[in-house]
Amino acid sequence: MVTKRQLGYFVVAVSVIGIVGIIAVDVLGAGRWGGFGPLQRMGIGLGLVAVAAGLVLIRLGDRPA
Amino acid sequence: MTIRLPRVLKGTAALLAVLAVLVYLGYFVIYISYAVELFRWPFDYDQGEGFELYDAILYRQGLWPYRDNASFPFYASNYPPLFHLLMVPLLPIFGPRLIAGRLLSFGATLVTAGAIFVVVRRNVTKQRGDWMGMWFIPLVSGLAFLASNYVYQIGPLCRMHMTLVMFETLAIAFIAEFEHRKHGTRNLLVGLVMLFCAGYTKQTAVFTVAAAISYVFLRDTKKAVLAGGGLALAAGAVFWLINTATGGEWWLNIIEANVNEFDYRRTLFLFRQWFSLHTLFILLGAGYFIYELFWDRLSAYSLWFFFALGVGALSGKWGAGFGYFNTAVAAACLTSGLALGKLKEIDWEPRFDLWRSSVGRGGVRAVIAAIIPLLYLLQAPRMLHLPTAGPVWAPLSRTLGVDDQLAYGSGESLAPTHCAPVSYYDAMGYTQLGHPLSADDYEAGERIMAYVDAAEGPIFSEEAMFSILADKPVVTNPTQLLNLYNNGLLDTTEIVDHVDQQAFDLVIFRAQFYPPPVLEAIGQNYQPVDQVCMNGFTYHLLWARDRLANAPEPPR
Repeated sequence: MVTKRQLGYFVVAVSVIGIVGIIAVDVLGAGRWGGFGPLQRMGIGLGLVAVAAGLVLIRLGDRPA
Repeated sequence: MTIRLPRVLKGTAALLAVLAVLVYLGYFVIYISYAVELFRWPFDYDQGEGFELYDAILYRQGLWPYRDNASFPFYASNYPPLFHLLMVPLLPIFGPRLIAGRLLSFGATLVTAGAIFVVVRRNVTKQRGDWMGMWFIPLVSGLAFLASNYVYQIGPLCRMHMTLVMFETLAIAFIAEFEHRKHGTRNLLVGLVMLFCAGYTKQTAVFTVAAAISYVFLRDTKKAVLAGGGLALAAGAVFWLINTATGGEWWLNIIEANVNEFDYRRTLFLFRQWFSLHTLFILLGAGYFIYELFWDRLSAYSLWFFFALGVGALSGKWGAGFGYFNTAVAAACLTSGLALGKLKEIDWEPRFDLWRSSVGRGGVRAVIAAIIPLLYLLQAPRMLHLPTAGPVWAPLSRTLGVDDQLAYGSGESLAPTHCAPVSYYDAMGYTQLGHPLSADDYEAGERIMAYVDAAEGPIFSEEAMFSILADKPVVTNPTQLLNLYNNGLLDTTEIVDHVDQQAFDLVIFRAQFYPPPVLEAIGQNYQPVDQVCMNGFTYHLLWARDRLANAPEPPR
């Protein structure tokens, strides 16, 4: 059984990897727009919301997810 | 005599509930009326229908529809086989006609609505005599699915979308009960079979697979690994077998051809539209997901709702559209029912002490009972869609004030892509589906068929039904050719050669979806002989220049 905390760690990890990936797209020069494109902004926004949700889940401890 | 407030509220709740059921039953009647219209219509209503029927015809002949697009008849399917295989037993009954697939798809929507009813009813209440939990919320949740503009429009088409949603709903319903004391293993196995069926109906089922396996993982990691591994093995083995049997054409047509250009603005537009049409169900579904995420355990249904948003995110792909939201609509209708059930079950009395003293004992619960049908009633007009002609619909649409807001517009405001207005209003605005057919449409179909019958040998048509009705082989699947061409996977040499040699007497265009070199070759070798307005679209009929004398005279 997965706990809220474990789920929280998973959500935070996936979100952080996602955000880093979205930023890396720009660093590597991919994408159609110079600078941050609208999809990247949306992706990072959603990633931050997911990080916040993950942090709350971590605080919920060993309750079953 | 004093009337107690809870009593008044209970009466109000009952009245509102009856009204809500009547409104959603009204939508159901509109849905049946549209479905019956389509069952009678022999031609393509949506451009892909005839091709899906043709896949079933090929299976019946023991042939694969995953073929080399570069050689005659330049035809291949881009969908998995299950929907078409399910159609095969219906072909001896109905013949090679669209009604086989339309009935199948329509039936799938009814099964899905029924499954939503059963799941909500099973989860919402355990109390006998609770009419709202036992009947009202489950019934409206199921009917709401059929009342969705998206489900209404696609439901009775010979397309695989709704069969996919049926398998997905059944899969989630069974897997949600995988910990059942007596039938847990059976439920898990049946759920996995349904997931397999969903995946082999349409590729987008992958999101429901992810939801179902995630749910099992949260509760029983070992079972999730076994279930996920088993499903991957079975699906992978069949995938490999079909790919081998078709010499790699399966991979090319199912996977590579579906990697299309993506427009995120279209996705955002469709998300906004989906939200604006289904606001209540989405808000309740999202609220239920958040509630379970932080305050309770995540259910299979909430996870399904969440993952279904992923399918919607793909809707900006070329060739995709609002049909990608049908899974999310089913999940939203189901979880909104569960959310309202939860809302109703909570003991509100201690939380509203002051209020309780003013409305009396049981008053808070009675207020909630009145609010639930009221919410359904407020949601109903957001999805408004109905025909605007006929003895019943014309006065009704006039009364509702939408008789002049037609889906294609009319008069000066007629959409430029259409040749005639349709008698149909839809709250989603412009849409190519959902309208009834007119006597003129039937006449136009016959006029096109006169050209098809006069043509010798196969014809080059953007819609398959003209060929199927004339008992000719289907040549080309234009959108598939364009998908492959855009991905650099199509050699058009042989197609262009055929066109240059004027190997077909007749070419029929509706949207000119063929790859540019093919369109160019047609322009050089074929002469427009007629254009026919059918189903709101202009069909361009072109005849081989060298045999123009054989072309039928266009009727005056």
